[in-house]
Amino acid sequence: MPDNRNSKLTRWWNNLNVKHSLGLSLILLVSSTIISFALQPNVFQEGTIQRVMTSNFRTWLPVILVTIGQAIVILGGGLDLSNGAIVSVGNVILALTVTTTDEPGKNILMILVVLGFGIAAGLLNGFFTSYLGLQPVIITFASSFVYSGLALLLLPSPGGAIPRDYTNAYRNTSLIGIPISLIVIIVFVLIWEFFRRRKYGRFLFAVGGNSKAAYTTGVPVTWVKISTYMISGLMASLAAISYTLLTGSGLSSSGDDMTLASVTGSVLGGISMSGGAGSVLGAVFGGIVLGNIRNIISSLKLDSWWRTLVNALVIVLVLAGPGTINLIRRKKK
Amino acid sequence: MNEICLKTHQIEKHFGGVIALRDGSIDIRAGEVLALVGSNGSGKSTLTKIVTGVLSQDNGAIIYQDSQVEFTNPMAAQKAGVIAVYQELSLVPSLTVAQNIWLANEPRDKSGFIDDRKMNLLTADLLKLFEGTYQPSLHPEAYLRELPPDERQIVEILKAYSRDPEVLILDEATASLDSKQVNCLYDLIQLLKSKNKGLVFVSHRMDEIFRFADRAVVLRNGQTVGEVVITETSEDEIVNMMIGSDEGLIRDHGRKSKDNHKETILVVENLGNDRLVDVNFSVTKGELVGIGGLRGQGQSTLLHSLFGDDYHTGSIIIEGESLKFDHPKEAMENGIALIPGDRATEGLLLMRSILENFHLPNWKKYASPILKMKKARRDAAQVGDQLNLIMESLDSPVSNLSGGNAQKVVIGKWLLRDPKILLLDDPTKGVDVGTKAEFYRLLRQLQEKGTTILLYSSDEQELLDLCERVLVMQDGTIKADLTGKELTESNLVYFSMGASTNHNNHEVSWHA
Repeated sequence: MPDNRNSKLTRWWNNLNVKHSLGLSLILLVSSTIISFALQPNVFQEGTIQRVMTSNFRTWLPVILVTIGQAIVILGGGLDLSNGAIVSVGNVILALTVTTTDEPGKNILMILVVLGFGIAAGLLNGFFTSYLGLQPVIITFASSFVYSGLALLLLPSPGGAIPRDYTNAYRNTSLIGIPISLIVIIVFVLIWEFFRRRKYGRFLFAVGGNSKAAYTTGVPVTWVKISTYMISGLMASLAAISYTLLTGSGLSSSGDDMTLASVTGSVLGGISMSGGAGSVLGAVFGGIVLGNIRNIISSLKLDSWWRTLVNALVIVLVLAGPGTINLIRRKKK
Repeated sequence: MNEICLKTHQIEKHFGGVIALRDGSIDIRAGEVLALVGSNGSGKSTLTKIVTGVLSQDNGAIIYQDSQVEFTNPMAAQKAGVIAVYQELSLVPSLTVAQNIWLANEPRDKSGFIDDRKMNLLTADLLKLFEGTYQPSLHPEAYLRELPPDERQIVEILKAYSRDPEVLILDEATASLDSKQVNCLYDLIQLLKSKNKGLVFVSHRMDEIFRFADRAVVLRNGQTVGEVVITETSEDEIVNMMIGSDEGLIRDHGRKSKDNHKETILVVENLGNDRLVDVNFSVTKGELVGIGGLRGQGQSTLLHSLFGDDYHTGSIIIEGESLKFDHPKEAMENGIALIPGDRATEGLLLMRSILENFHLPNWKKYASPILKMKKARRDAAQVGDQLNLIMESLDSPVSNLSGGNAQKVVIGKWLLRDPKILLLDDPTKGVDVGTKAEFYRLLRQLQEKGTTILLYSSDEQELLDLCERVLVMQDGTIKADLTGKELTESNLVYFSMGASTNHNNHEVSWHA
């Protein structure tokens, strides 16, 4: 860090760190991106970067979307372990019903059904955790079995086929050179910025920071908490849509990996597990970092268990880092 | 007399079987400061929480601006203009000063976005009310978690003031302020008075009550016992109303001091840390010394410091040897035991068996080469008998026990170590009368055996019944050391309220 404490750069950095807790996630984002590109063959050939970006973002979009939802739940002081299962249900519904381009009306209806299911599942989670005050970890873990059971009931073995036209549109559409999946991400970051500057954002941070204080100040705590689970459910449904468009088929366990990834991504994105600090942009960064780790490991041609190991090590480091530093500081005193 | 703007009528509130309030009746008048006075657990905080909608009453009515109201949540009370400065602060540490002050009341522009610039400017204006009494680290964009307690308190006061209250309740708002800051608060209160607002001032400090208030209502055991006009009353009158002249005066003196001047076992010199200031006292062997005062004046910190559980400066001398404990283990090895105040979090492993709980500090005794379970069981059973512990078996989990019996387990595990000095941190909180009596008997037995006991209790009656000597604490220091004739209920209350020290006619009440 520069010596001059008042330099613009330092101030910008402090602002980033203290106000939005983005510092660490930005470092991780930049370093993982550089490593990932360095391992890419032919980086400097024309079109490589564009091609890699398009393929990366369309693969990462589902995880990034659930991570945004998870981040909002964690910001409000909760945790949603059922978002992956909600993705599975959405994916299965779409794979079973959206089979032809001839009936656009029906297809749109099914998308609405999937979105409605996500919101309803979130409402259920929110009701039990926030209105009845039960443990979020237990409730959402339990409800995840209900949802993944439902997915398995609907589609016992992998199958279903989404029309080629749809999947191709998802893969190849881009606007002024920006792939559609990246545009979706940017749109959600902007929507978050919109709400962050309004009453809702302030309430969310207050509830996550100290819900008792927020309550005595007149913040509708229960509603804010329930709404975070509903948002998480909605984001999981959107992830289901993008996942289905990506793979073109249905799998009843499609969202299983996404739950842990959404928590890991949130933590890597600088979101405090105790709530009240962090930002959605950080969650997006966290999701990208996870994607980069995956790419790095596959470029190195390592076995896939390395991915799990590295993810685990990174999360432990990020979670335990600040605590350890504080402990060492205190001991020195 | 001014007009009544808010009136509570015979408010009742129970928490489970415990009655917190049985008749809370106050009249708040516009343009006047009403002091709410009472000792520990008299129901002041409960009453203020009911008025501001944080709690709801079981019975009774609130009449506000001539109509009966029911504030089901704090939001409703705030909309109506009834606002409190809370004792346990209602601030969010991860938000800035300005964000906290304007939480749920943010200035917004036409399209509904929060106007941060305006919010910070308004906050800077508000801070001017306390200008010169705080560090430059307190500014609108400072994060609350980085501020010291007094500055947090200022933020809390300004937060309530910014909501333009009709009725403002200040619950112990001065507890962490210094005298300059209290002066600023005084000016602020005068300003609100001149605007004809109703004010309630809850405080434990006599001098502040006499300075700020116009009238005072006294609560005792959850009941309004009287109202006085400040200019027509005296500190003595208020103290007498607080303790009630009819109760607790006949005492069985089990505390016959066998004044054969034993040797000093514990000397504490200039003990200090962030909660304690210059604590000095000494205790002789076999003495039972009480620690009194209002809740949260550093009593627990003192006990934890003696137990090596809290950082401190100054010295602790035990049996002539100056010792410094960095860890409770070292204190334990020197024959000190601490029975903590919160048994569920600090005293017991709730899920584990009684036997395990008893032996948690003692396994070393039974350890070689493998645990001698038979002997451990026998000893545990013996202590169980000694304590009259009612249990199914030694193997049933502690969570099955009633509060009183669970507390016996906490005591029992230390008795097995046979401590030289026993520290007790408000041990009878939430314990029934029968168990209390047994507990008192036990303490006497220990004392006769020569154990030195330091007992902090928030129950004045308990201190009077058990102790031959009581140290009264306020603001982290010992305000009075009462023995013999000076040890009366009125003196205890008097000194814990920080009343003037040149005070000499308080020995009378318990002889009466």
